[in-house]
Amino acid sequence: MPGTMISRTLRWLRQSEWSLLLAIFAAVVITAVIDSNHSYYGRPLESLRDIARNTALLGIFALGAAVVIIAGGIDLSSGSMIALSGTVCATTMLALAPTEMMSFKPVGPLVVTIACSASLLTGFLVGTLHTWLITVVRLPPFIATLATLVGLRSFARAVCESGTAAMTPTKSALINVADPLFKAVRDNVSIPVTVFLLLAAATWLLLSRTVLGRHLQALGGNEQAARLAGIRTDNVKWFAYCFGAMTAALAGLFYVANESVAAPVNQGRGHELNAIAAAVVGGCSLSGGVGTVPGTVLGAVFLRVVIDAVSKIIKTGADVYEGLIVGIVVVLAVTFAQAGGGPRHDRRLLPGALGLCTIPILALLAGSLTAMTSGGWAGVGTGMTAGLLLICLRIWEHRSRRAE
Amino acid sequence: MTASSDIAVAMRGITKRFPGVLALDDVTLEVHRGELHAICGENGAGKSTLMKILSGVYMPDEGQLEVAGHTVQFSGTRDAEQAGIAIIHQELALVEDLSVAANIMLGREPRTAIGLLDLAGCERLAADLLAGLESSIDPRGRTGSLRVGDQQLVEIAKALSLDASVIVMDEPTSALTEAESARLERTISRLREQGRTILYISHKMEEVFRLADRITVLRDGRHVCSVDRCDTTPTEVTGWMVGREIADHQFHEHRSPGPCLLEVERLCLPAAELGRADRLTEISFRVHAGEILGIAGLMGAGRTEVLETIFGVAGDDWTGQIRLEDRPVRFRHPREACQAGLALVTEDRKRLGLFANLDVAGNISLCSLAEATVGRLLSRRQEEQLVAGPISQTGVKTPSPHAAITGLSGGNQQKCIIGRWLLTQPRVLLLDDPTRGIDVGAKAELYALIDRLCREGLAVILTSSELPELLTLADRVIVLAEGRLTAEFSRAEATEQKIMAAATASRLAGVRT
Repeated sequence: MPGTMISRTLRWLRQSEWSLLLAIFAAVVITAVIDSNHSYYGRPLESLRDIARNTALLGIFALGAAVVIIAGGIDLSSGSMIALSGTVCATTMLALAPTEMMSFKPVGPLVVTIACSASLLTGFLVGTLHTWLITVVRLPPFIATLATLVGLRSFARAVCESGTAAMTPTKSALINVADPLFKAVRDNVSIPVTVFLLLAAATWLLLSRTVLGRHLQALGGNEQAARLAGIRTDNVKWFAYCFGAMTAALAGLFYVANESVAAPVNQGRGHELNAIAAAVVGGCSLSGGVGTVPGTVLGAVFLRVVIDAVSKIIKTGADVYEGLIVGIVVVLAVTFAQAGGGPRHDRRLLPGALGLCTIPILALLAGSLTAMTSGGWAGVGTGMTAGLLLICLRIWEHRSRRAE
Repeated sequence: MTASSDIAVAMRGITKRFPGVLALDDVTLEVHRGELHAICGENGAGKSTLMKILSGVYMPDEGQLEVAGHTVQFSGTRDAEQAGIAIIHQELALVEDLSVAANIMLGREPRTAIGLLDLAGCERLAADLLAGLESSIDPRGRTGSLRVGDQQLVEIAKALSLDASVIVMDEPTSALTEAESARLERTISRLREQGRTILYISHKMEEVFRLADRITVLRDGRHVCSVDRCDTTPTEVTGWMVGREIADHQFHEHRSPGPCLLEVERLCLPAAELGRADRLTEISFRVHAGEILGIAGLMGAGRTEVLETIFGVAGDDWTGQIRLEDRPVRFRHPREACQAGLALVTEDRKRLGLFANLDVAGNISLCSLAEATVGRLLSRRQEEQLVAGPISQTGVKTPSPHAAITGLSGGNQQKCIIGRWLLTQPRVLLLDDPTRGIDVGAKAELYALIDRLCREGLAVILTSSELPELLTLADRVIVLAEGRLTAEFSRAEATEQKIMAAATASRLAGVRT
């Protein structure tokens, strides 16, 4: 029976990470074919380096987001944590070696080490603050980290401005970082990639092979039962939120190296959602308890590959579409993971009045997107085609339901 | 024979199955217009399920419903409301964050001429209804801030707002004080004057005999009998409620209890919210090694609270003394209780015991993971060896230790959880209603397992909502009612009737000691 073959294949794809690998491969092949500059043929190494660097930067704190999500929580603050971490690092260097920093000279490995440690320590402190807000003050994780999402960025800007006002002639919203150690990290993509892979291996070991990892899964799966089974759930949460904040702090250091500047206004802004998206695309369930490290790593790779593909295809101003792409990828990935995952084969996509109203919305979205990227008439055509297809789907769904 | 026009509600041949349980088996019930018809039965007898079918919450698998002589089919509570049937649920179904008026009119909000919500009208209607119930609840107040008794009144007002001709009350007095119960009774008589039919679920005999015209008894999902109140006595009804054959096996014989392991003295647990009765009042008992102590009591009597307080779950505000092997102990976290040699198999398996995201082995090894490690890393093989013990000891039927726990039957899931705790080598095993929602065959296996563990020297405290279970397993039975200890029986003294009488003793009668 071809039907059972298809459903068995689908189940196998859903259960494993193969579907993500397949999707990554497909995205690369499609981009290589469509891209008129043929950059994947012409400059494969350069393309690979771009994707690898971006993936490593996203992946490092996506792992943290995944651990928090698996433990049944959510950390919305990692983008702001990235900004704060960079600012703390740069301000510490400015304080310890003001003349070198101002004249763009090397500050020495000792100062760099102290500054980076200060950043990671800040991550630990923020994670502890989250845990206190969640377990003692009893705020929902969403609210607690929403508060720090807005609060920490503002705090980072304040630190940056008062730090520069006190230690340099002019108040500034950013601090340039020119130490050769940071430059080396920027120019050598293998460093962030190695850190990312090591961190992924360590996280994988933690989740699948340690008692703490099992406790994290138990906490995410059923918090009350975990407490009743004698697990100190508050301590496990403490670990999870510190891990989340410290991976963001680590990523913040790489952001500073990459851009040679600590700029708390914009650095990492909105990136927390990319991290959560990578975890979710990789199979983490926001209700907790479910998710893997390989999935999260592949989720991050997939997200970056798709974003890169769009920038190759659209060429100019592709960053405008980044959020849209992430949104579509998340919706498609989670829909795919749910599709047919149960006895409900009668699921309809366009039922009732809601379905009727969704048809023009989707058609408009497809049409306007095409219009903006490929010109007006193409947009009208795409929109009308999409609308017609959706109307056909609606009629078909309606008929097949009546037949029952 | 009564004329059919006189029948307000008839349920004929109702059968309802839930996964693994036959909740109702061919139940037939006729309720006459304008009467107060009491429905009695033990916990799990099917009373609530029957009423949920009548009010459209569940659909029956077999059988039919007739309202005022017409056959009806409800596919939701809305259908039932339109047919004039309103239910006041045992678990209150109010939106706590909305105002009292908004709750009463929920789903049927009056509108103004231009289609806006008619807030004033809403409040006026609600105030009228509440005044009719001689209550001074502010219709604008937040529902969640009301006491439970007042919330119950809001539920009643909501049912009245439907102008229902048939009102179902599912254990309405279970959360009420004496004064509130008296007020409810006055409301009920007023409703009866208006000619409404009332279905009243309760297992409190005094209440039933004071209010009801007719009484129907359910047991194990079957209809036992329907009689006029004047033709029967409370003792007879209690007998019908519990009178099933006592299980074949008697396990408690030839046990030889050892030294006293756990002693609880004058345990009091204040209410979680202000203005409520204490959850536990001056409870004292002791358990010996190799003995099973049964705790009987109706829902909400405090059985779970006793076990949770001992195990360090209920917080730290209890008073009294708990001694483990003569040493006073005070556990602030289940972890401490666990390390001291206690184990708690919780009441609600799905909500409080099971980890659906972990496999069978993961569920069993969770409390003893340190023994499944090599170096500091978990070893899959070590874990398999570790869980092989409890799997064979408790007789879990699973295709593999790595099968999904959700694929197992309720009985096997419960064995996994008992196995989880056996791995911690406890000396005192607390079992909170361990056979709830488990089919008969699996129950017998669990009884044998609990008996074997007890004979191996464990002290066991067992609560159960089923009396025969306690009589089958326990050496001694203590009875709780409304947070107080109302009786203690040795196995020889205990009968279902005596226990039921002690469990239904009201607060005033309960203060005997």
